[in-house]
Amino acid sequence: MTVGAKVKQTLSNLKGAKGTLRAYSIQTQDEEARPIYEEAVAATDKVIKDLEERLKIIEYEEPQYKGY
Amino acid sequence: MKTWIGILIRSIALFFIILMAIRIMGKRQFVRMTPFQFVDYGVIAILGALLSVNIITNLAFGFIALGVWILLPIGFDYLSLKSKKFHDLINGNGTILMKNGKVMEENLKQLRLTGEDLLRQLRSKGIFNIADVEFAIMETTGETNILLKSDKKPVTSFDLGKKVGPKSEPQTVILDGNILDEPLSAMGLDRGWLKTKLDGMGIALENVFIAQVDSSGDLYIDLFDDAIQLPQPKVKELLYANLEKSESDLYTFSLETQDPKTKAMYGEHADRMHNIIKKLETYLLR
Repeated sequence: MTVGAKVKQTLSNLKGAKGTLRAYSIQTQDEEARPIYEEAVAATDKVIKDLEERLKIIEYEEPQYKGY
Repeated sequence: MKTWIGILIRSIALFFIILMAIRIMGKRQFVRMTPFQFVDYGVIAILGALLSVNIITNLAFGFIALGVWILLPIGFDYLSLKSKKFHDLINGNGTILMKNGKVMEENLKQLRLTGEDLLRQLRSKGIFNIADVEFAIMETTGETNILLKSDKKPVTSFDLGKKVGPKSEPQTVILDGNILDEPLSAMGLDRGWLKTKLDGMGIALENVFIAQVDSSGDLYIDLFDDAIQLPQPKVKELLYANLEKSESDLYTFSLETQDPKTKAMYGEHADRMHNIIKKLETYLLR
């Protein structure tokens, strides 16, 4: 697996996790847990953004592996 | 009037009167009653029976007696609520059987309990070793309650120094294939949500015996048809595993990459994930 493919896999993993976290942050009845879930969403969001940036650079450097 | 009609009417009237009276007198269970309360219920039952089959011929006398035995305990209950002294006078106090791990022989004698009786009480609570007991008290109901020595107590999450996510009571949203709207709306959900969830699992509403939603919004379902295997909600565990995998991926990237700036970026994000996973652990795994 190329570096690009690996990063992509992690990225999709994180995006899935972020979605689930967001769902929990909305549906949980527990006021104590909600800010934690929201914080987790924000944190994963940051990581996702930087990974996407990195992915662009990787694809620019290795255009032969572009795409899925 | 024929006798049997009289008895029929009396019995039906008494049935409802005593039913109401017992309901008003409270929800105490038989095993949780003080001996006197037991006597009181007994007298009410006997008076009711005697009145009902016309052994007490004078209705007024019968009802006076019945009224005293029903109303006095209710009045005493209210007075006990107001005054602790009165409560102790009526109900008595609990008697301490063991204190600081030592048996109080004087108190046992007062209760006319033998050592074997005490041991039996402890055994019925699952304690076979008297050395494990710090404190034991016999309540006014005759029940024995025991405080174990602190090193013999069951371990709690507090003892382990672990934080546990608070869990409120789950709501039952489907019973016998019928959707219960009130608990659903108490969770802030609606029928549409439930339908989507059921469709997602491929289950017909008629096939659901019990469905419960826990405080985090996960749905647990029991079906009429036990042959069908259902995936139980493991979303939280999956999510946790997913986050951990992402964290380790980020660490790997930071090791593999040659560019120092990118290395730092990956490392920083891996630490960020690490922190958030630690915080979420309480809520996702426990």
